[in-house]
Amino acid sequence: MGPATRIAAKDLKLRIRDRSAFILGIFAPLVLAFIFKLVFGGVFGATSLDLRFGAVDLDDTEVSQSFREILGDLDSEGILALTDYDDADEAEAAIEEGQIDAYYLIEPGMHAAVEAGEEFAIKIVGDVDAPTSTQIAASIAEQYGAGVAGVQLSVATSFHSLDGPPPPESAAWGQEAAARGASYALTDVTTETRQLDGTTYFAAGMAVFFLFFTVQFGVIGLLEEQRDGTLARLLAAPIRRTSVITAKALLSFWLGVISLSVLILATHFLMGATWGPPLGVALLAVAGVLSAVSIMGLVASVAKTPEGAGNLGAIIAVILGMLGGTFFPVGQGDDLLSKLTYLTPHAWFMEGLAEISGGAEWRAALPAVGALLAFSLILGSIGWTLLRRRITA
Amino acid sequence: MVKNFGDITAVGGVGFTIEEGETFGLLGPNGAGKTTSISIVAGLLEPDAGEVVVAGISISPASVAGKAAIGLVPQDLAIYPDLTATENLSFFGRLYGMRGEELSKRVAEVLEVIGLIDRKDDLTKEFSGGMKRRLNIGIGLLHRPKLLILDEPTVGVDPQSRNSILESVESLSAEGMAVLYTTHYMEEAERLCDRVAIIDEGTFKAEGTRRELVSIVGGRDRITITATGDLSRAVQAAREIPGVFEASHSDQGLEVLADEASRLLPELLRRLAAAGAVITGVEVVEPNLEAVFLHVTGKALRD
Repeated sequence: MGPATRIAAKDLKLRIRDRSAFILGIFAPLVLAFIFKLVFGGVFGATSLDLRFGAVDLDDTEVSQSFREILGDLDSEGILALTDYDDADEAEAAIEEGQIDAYYLIEPGMHAAVEAGEEFAIKIVGDVDAPTSTQIAASIAEQYGAGVAGVQLSVATSFHSLDGPPPPESAAWGQEAAARGASYALTDVTTETRQLDGTTYFAAGMAVFFLFFTVQFGVIGLLEEQRDGTLARLLAAPIRRTSVITAKALLSFWLGVISLSVLILATHFLMGATWGPPLGVALLAVAGVLSAVSIMGLVASVAKTPEGAGNLGAIIAVILGMLGGTFFPVGQGDDLLSKLTYLTPHAWFMEGLAEISGGAEWRAALPAVGALLAFSLILGSIGWTLLRRRITA
Repeated sequence: MVKNFGDITAVGGVGFTIEEGETFGLLGPNGAGKTTSISIVAGLLEPDAGEVVVAGISISPASVAGKAAIGLVPQDLAIYPDLTATENLSFFGRLYGMRGEELSKRVAEVLEVIGLIDRKDDLTKEFSGGMKRRLNIGIGLLHRPKLLILDEPTVGVDPQSRNSILESVESLSAEGMAVLYTTHYMEEAERLCDRVAIIDEGTFKAEGTRRELVSIVGGRDRITITATGDLSRAVQAAREIPGVFEASHSDQGLEVLADEASRLLPELLRRLAAAGAVITGVEVVEPNLEAVFLHVTGKALRD
């Protein structure tokens, strides 16, 4: 066991004894994820891969049936559940009763319009409480429309459930859907809009959010040693100075991995979270922890006191957590937020999980893992350099 | 050694040697440059100029081997409150390469030396200030260093613990360990140190044994005798005693300057009485480092 490992082992023992790492690293995220699931689980559950669509084919021709077949294929693949209805009233009643999230309305004349090269609309009516599902429904229809000249989409939300007008976003969805080009493949569209189920979403969100607080215990320990006078004794020992920094980073890494591992297992077995293939989850977890260690190491390198580092770290953790979508989904559109979110490790962690939690193989997480490792390399190098300069000054 | 922090010269060119079994004291007020000096010696700071060699090995912040020859007892309590005394000692012992039975035996020895063997399994946060100070010292001497550096180890310690710490330092020196001791307590420097350097504003103002330093200010003992009777005859009688440098009288009694007051005192009192003086009180004041410090720095030592 080298000096760095010995120092890290000592620090781990101290953290276990004062229980602070347990509270912030395991207890708090577990409880919050559970509470969030209870409070928001229903809402966000509807935006998961549990897509329930209806179809009303009033045209009932070869052309309309081709679209119906595409939906049927997706139903067969388990991507969505499709129910046919005879008319719009029946389908809207199904939305009101919560049986489906959205339905496609193909009105008479589609075949003739397509043959004549005229424009035609497939209407998508969605539940106002299931905006993401409605957007996915629109995307699927758009893909179909991209291959069939002249077909347009119009999207509306069912406002019966709210006794009010449809939200303004519904018009935007329709415009957005109509404006999109034909460059997407059908499978790509469904992958892009894949979401974590509610339980997994909050479990992962809280895990990665609190991860940044947990790893702080390691790197901030360097400032605590400096404050308490023990750093002088460590630096006077016959070990390399960088061993002390390595030890703190190592402790942060251990705490992060332990925290995430316990949370992943606990939320899987106790709350039914579906994280995805173990190898992909492990890669994401390790890369996520490394990125958290590098960011908090950078924070420790610029702070003057442990208290200052704790406060600054908390502010950064909250900002990155919210921007990264650990509390609420962000960045589903093309707005600025959707771009900014990818400046956070949280967003990449969540996206990586979303890629693999639905049954994709572990390799689907590699882009997110790569992004997280890039965060780690760049920010970690800066933090390491500053910390090294600090203890050798 | 020279060390500057920006425009401030913390250590402005000091140098000294310490032999095995010798205790060398750095005596000076707070901010005099004591801690900066020992930080350079311990390899915590890189000097802007100069070199430190301990047991033949050059010391710098990057040197690993040389640091093994040094034990540091920082002024701050450099112990972990949530570890037991044994755990604290074992942790630092391992950093110095000690393992297994050697480590266990040495930890037990040190706990015995510092008087904490009965509290070895208690968390140190439950210790008194004096016990923590003793453990702080114990960690420094655990690996049997060639040079033990103690930076004001008795600051904030109760008299009983202070005495225990001073006894420990005396015994370490007697065992052959070189000790570098910083303090701003005059009596500690006088009791412990074979040689003392008076440091102020980053430079040595004087250096030597206690007697050498005292000689700077004339090094004579002052005997104040409260007496009545024929004091003029008494002064004359005192001046006739070999070893008496000067004698004078006032209404209250006599003032006598001598080289070795303790040796002369019986003869002096006998002769004064024979000359007609009625003696009611005697006080002997030996010249101390306080006077030397005042002389070489122009100011008094203070906390």
